[in-house]
Amino acid sequence: MTAALSMSGISKAFPGVRALDNVDFDCLPGEVHAICGENGAGKSTLMKILGGSYRPDAGTIQLAGTTVHFTHPRQAAEAGISIIHQELSLLPHRTVAENIFMGREIARRGLLDKAAMRRKAAQLLGRIGAEIDPQALVSSLSIAMQQLVEIAKALLLDARIIVMDEPTAALDERGSRTLLTLVQNLRREGVSIVYISHRMPEVMAIADRITILKDGKKVWTRPRDAAPVGEIVRAMVGRDLDDFYPAPPSSPPGAALLAVQDGTNAAVQDVAFTVRAGEIVGVAGLEDSGKGALAQALVGDAPFSSGTITLRGKPVTLRAPRQATAAGIGYLPGDRKREGLALHQSVRDNALLTLRSMAGLLARPQGGAFASNVIDGKLREMDVRAADFGQEIGTLSGGNQQKAIIVRWLAQASDILVFVEPTRGIDIAAKAAIYETMRSFADSGRGIVVVSSDMPELIGVADRILVMHRGRISGELPRGASEEDIMHLALGLADQPHREVHA
Amino acid sequence: MTTDAAKPGPARSGLPISILLAGLSIGFFVVVALATGEVSQLSGQGIVGLLQRMVALGLVSIGQTFVILVGSIDLSVAALISAVAVLASHIMQGDPAMILPAILICLGLCLAVGLVNGALVAYGGINPLIATLGTGLIIQGVLAASFGVLQGAVAREFQVIAYGGLLGVPYSLLLLAVLSLAAGFVLDRTLFGARIYAVGGNPDGARLAGIRTERVTLSAHVVASLFAGASGLYLAARLQSGTPWIGRDGIYDLESIAVTVIGGTILAGGKGGVAGTLAGVLLFASLDAGFNMLGVDAFLKQVLRGAIVIAAVAVHAIRTKEHVA
Amino acid sequence: MTTVPLPSSRRAAGIALNAGLVIFVVLYAAIALLQPNYLEPGLFMNFLRRAAPLLILACGQLYVILTGGFDLSMGAVATLVVLAASILINGDPDATWAVIGTLYVMGIAVGLVNGLVVAFLKVPSIITTLGTMLLVNGLALAWSGGAARGDLPDNFRNLGRLVWRGVPVIGTLPLAVVVIAGFVALAWWGLNGTVYGKRALAVGDNPRAAELAGTPVAVTRILAFVVSAVSAVTAGILLGGFSGVSVNAGEGLELQAIAACVIGGAQLLGGRGSIWSAVFGALSLFALFTLLNILGLPQALRDSIQGLILIAAVGASMWRSRKRN
Ligand SMILES: Nc1ncnc2c1ncn2[C@@H]1O[C@H](COP(=O)(O)OP(=O)(O)OP(=O)(O)O)[C@@H](O)[C@H]1O
Ligand SMILES: [Mg+2]
Repeated sequence: MTAALSMSGISKAFPGVRALDNVDFDCLPGEVHAICGENGAGKSTLMKILGGSYRPDAGTIQLAGTTVHFTHPRQAAEAGISIIHQELSLLPHRTVAENIFMGREIARRGLLDKAAMRRKAAQLLGRIGAEIDPQALVSSLSIAMQQLVEIAKALLLDARIIVMDEPTAALDERGSRTLLTLVQNLRREGVSIVYISHRMPEVMAIADRITILKDGKKVWTRPRDAAPVGEIVRAMVGRDLDDFYPAPPSSPPGAALLAVQDGTNAAVQDVAFTVRAGEIVGVAGLEDSGKGALAQALVGDAPFSSGTITLRGKPVTLRAPRQATAAGIGYLPGDRKREGLALHQSVRDNALLTLRSMAGLLARPQGGAFASNVIDGKLREMDVRAADFGQEIGTLSGGNQQKAIIVRWLAQASDILVFVEPTRGIDIAAKAAIYETMRSFADSGRGIVVVSSDMPELIGVADRILVMHRGRISGELPRGASEEDIMHLALGLADQPHREVHA
Repeated sequence: MTTDAAKPGPARSGLPISILLAGLSIGFFVVVALATGEVSQLSGQGIVGLLQRMVALGLVSIGQTFVILVGSIDLSVAALISAVAVLASHIMQGDPAMILPAILICLGLCLAVGLVNGALVAYGGINPLIATLGTGLIIQGVLAASFGVLQGAVAREFQVIAYGGLLGVPYSLLLLAVLSLAAGFVLDRTLFGARIYAVGGNPDGARLAGIRTERVTLSAHVVASLFAGASGLYLAARLQSGTPWIGRDGIYDLESIAVTVIGGTILAGGKGGVAGTLAGVLLFASLDAGFNMLGVDAFLKQVLRGAIVIAAVAVHAIRTKEHVA
Repeated sequence: MTTVPLPSSRRAAGIALNAGLVIFVVLYAAIALLQPNYLEPGLFMNFLRRAAPLLILACGQLYVILTGGFDLSMGAVATLVVLAASILINGDPDATWAVIGTLYVMGIAVGLVNGLVVAFLKVPSIITTLGTMLLVNGLALAWSGGAARGDLPDNFRNLGRLVWRGVPVIGTLPLAVVVIAGFVALAWWGLNGTVYGKRALAVGDNPRAAELAGTPVAVTRILAFVVSAVSAVTAGILLGGFSGVSVNAGEGLELQAIAACVIGGAQLLGGRGSIWSAVFGALSLFALFTLLNILGLPQALRDSIQGLILIAAVGASMWRSRKRN
């Protein structure tokens, strides 16, 4: 069988980085070929070369045996390659249908056929099991729904090759399962699928073959059966990662740090829970469960309209992120690029942002706690890897960026950290490091609320898990709960639909 | 997916803002006319007069809407308007036979300027504010330096555009109406329009979706320049001869941006349309007419205008949770 | 990913600094080639004296640009200052200092309005400051009746005009140069001696991230507009000193100030730039004007050349950064 796709000897350098070094990659018709690798290993770059976004410095691409040269994404699309990019590329102010047909509008002599596009869009959305109105504005959709629109967009082409670059990063458990079914169906239709993910269970579930990239070089390509998880991790990281999740705390939690009573706003109702010193409290739920809104309320970004929040027994009002920061609550937002980073500022300045924001206006920017060597020490302690902490943070890998934001809050000496999707899009080694930090932060007598769609993560790292459903806490699970337990509550299938939870 | 997530509703068009603005403008005009006893302003002729105030600014602003939608901006339109007005009168020298050549040459100039602007922005990667500020300065300088040489007046027949009409409707107004409808149609119903919204809404996404974004940006700039040219030709017809300052004195660059934004088109691009822009222009026209009836002096008029620009944008900007700069 | 040391942001800022400095040195060398006496300290001081208003405006504008906005109202504020000074002082030298205080209060009020409207009403700064530009200009003209009235007393004009002679080493020292030095030092301190500069850069780069990190985004923005307005008042006082009272004293200065920052390497829409971008950008621009004067080019063509240089400077920096990628 000739490979549907074969890339050979691909190299690509960016200023200061060899992103790809002589990489070979191929994919057969009807095959799911997964690519694994750490952040910055070059996965997306390889796919962007395939998609015509970047031109390779060296190497050739063949489609079904014919050599092709792409200089614009349009040519790749015309050659039957469809890519779901890692970053959402939608038009927020346009409708779902208009987005699905972006660049491939149905038109006759330049005139749009809107009705036909609406019909086809509805059909595509139906095919992926997404109940989304083609006429809805994209900005009114949740991130997960937007991701589904991206997927529909990729299916429009009837492509022979579909690349999915971390398609499930923004999806909840249910969305992910639907996607995996879709991948199986596409494979059965003979489509070649390149699948990139940092979630090992997914990769093991659907890949026919697996390729590992490390530092821009291919380590190996093997059939799934010849690639146990341990091998994959070792190839990616370069060492074994035995204790992926940190050990549970040895001592029971201490006094209550944070308590919420009757927290209510447009997105959540009657939320009540407590976080004790030394505890990591997980919050699970489907995309629309209100778990993100709960985090936003805790940090004053979208405050509760009624209810009380007490910190160390004292009631506090948190109407703006600045107030929450002052009260000792730190926030790691779910959307790193849009909400976390000042991309063109240095790693150091990003790490110092909160300290400098909370200091007196006339404080010297390099004095005392802001001195380079002090913050550099903290960054090094967190193992943020950069050639120079003066370099723009935008040039770092996702994992290192995330660690730098965590340093921001560690430097501020916050009492409570609210983490939203702390490891979204982050490689396995960085994940382990972040979990480690979370544990030691909690063990030092402080508390963490971690909101995540990644259930294994919650199970591995949280001491207790609150599960949300339709804006309410539908139940609480102790350490050791299973994914099924969580799903049960997340889907609202609990016997008592609403149970007050007091820890 | 569950159904109780975001409520997927039908797409909201720019219509509400435009209707609201138009209603407010007309309301203001009518109230002032009644209050000052200038009831004649409410006759057919009075209304036509009001609408005719929209023509010059309306034409540039339609073009400006295209570039803003595509995520760019054009500060060179004021200078271009002056250039076209001067050039048209210089070429015509009152000779009706030269009308067509003059129009063609003027539009040729606009095409060239639009291509240069578009190329600088789309292919040169130069910030559009800087690029078009630069080309505007270049045009303005050349124009001012050659003013002594370029003199003349448009042909009397050409002035029909400004002063003639069909069944009591001035040709200029018909021109504005036809061009507005055409622009609205292009934006809403054609491939080009869809591409403009795509490039303005998310340039990287548009490129990944296979759109040749540079070409779209370039075309939008050409459209803007051509509309500025139309405005310049109209002004030449109205004033009989152009001066190198009419564009600058009319602050057509900043005012066209202001009315576009007042009309609900966002500066980041990808959202808005011609209807809102025209409503913004109508607001300016009604204010002008109203202030005249009230006998507000020129300086105070400027003060009020400034305040109203801010207020009008604030009305719909204030609801946004996003940050603006 | 084999990591090779990347250009650090400090080095990136260094490049920006050099761009403005290099352009200035080249232009000034050209001036000196044509008129060697420009190398004498006296003439250089005089050059600085005349560049002072633009330089100070550019420093103020830079604050706003860093946070991602524009201030189009500074020219109007400068005009208001000149007109208001002549009216308020009304020939009485004893009133000078009190009036100067009043002028700063007026300027700060305008800055506060700009900042509050942008930060809380979420009106984009380009529109907000266009509005205040119209408003302030209208007020100034309405107040003065549209014509320059009165004269400024010597003690006021000295701020722009006075030159001390017989100063050791440099020979002459204009008071305006001392004002520049003081103002630049203050502006430098604000950005580098306090945490404000880092906050402003973060706000310009990503206001949402800054907000969530606890940065007082609104205060940061408002302060930037206040600094910008203060710089406009200072520049207006100097302008009144050199050129006396006129109704268009500040016309067009806002765009020159923006252009200066950009030529010096500051990035429009925020996140990148240093005080040296403003200083050397302004000096470059002013050296260009001087050079064109010396070359005897028609005054009008100055605009054109300014436009060309603007595009060339930004184009060159784009091209350089593209080549690096
Ligand atoms: N446009 C670019 N300019 C400069 N460097 C880049 C660019 N795109 C990627 N890189 C660098 O190339 C390397 C490979 O990046 P790439 O995005 O391919 O990694 P990845 O494997 O997809 O990582 P992740 O898991 O975080 O998505 C990284 O070091 C990255 O910083
Ligand atoms: Mg990637």
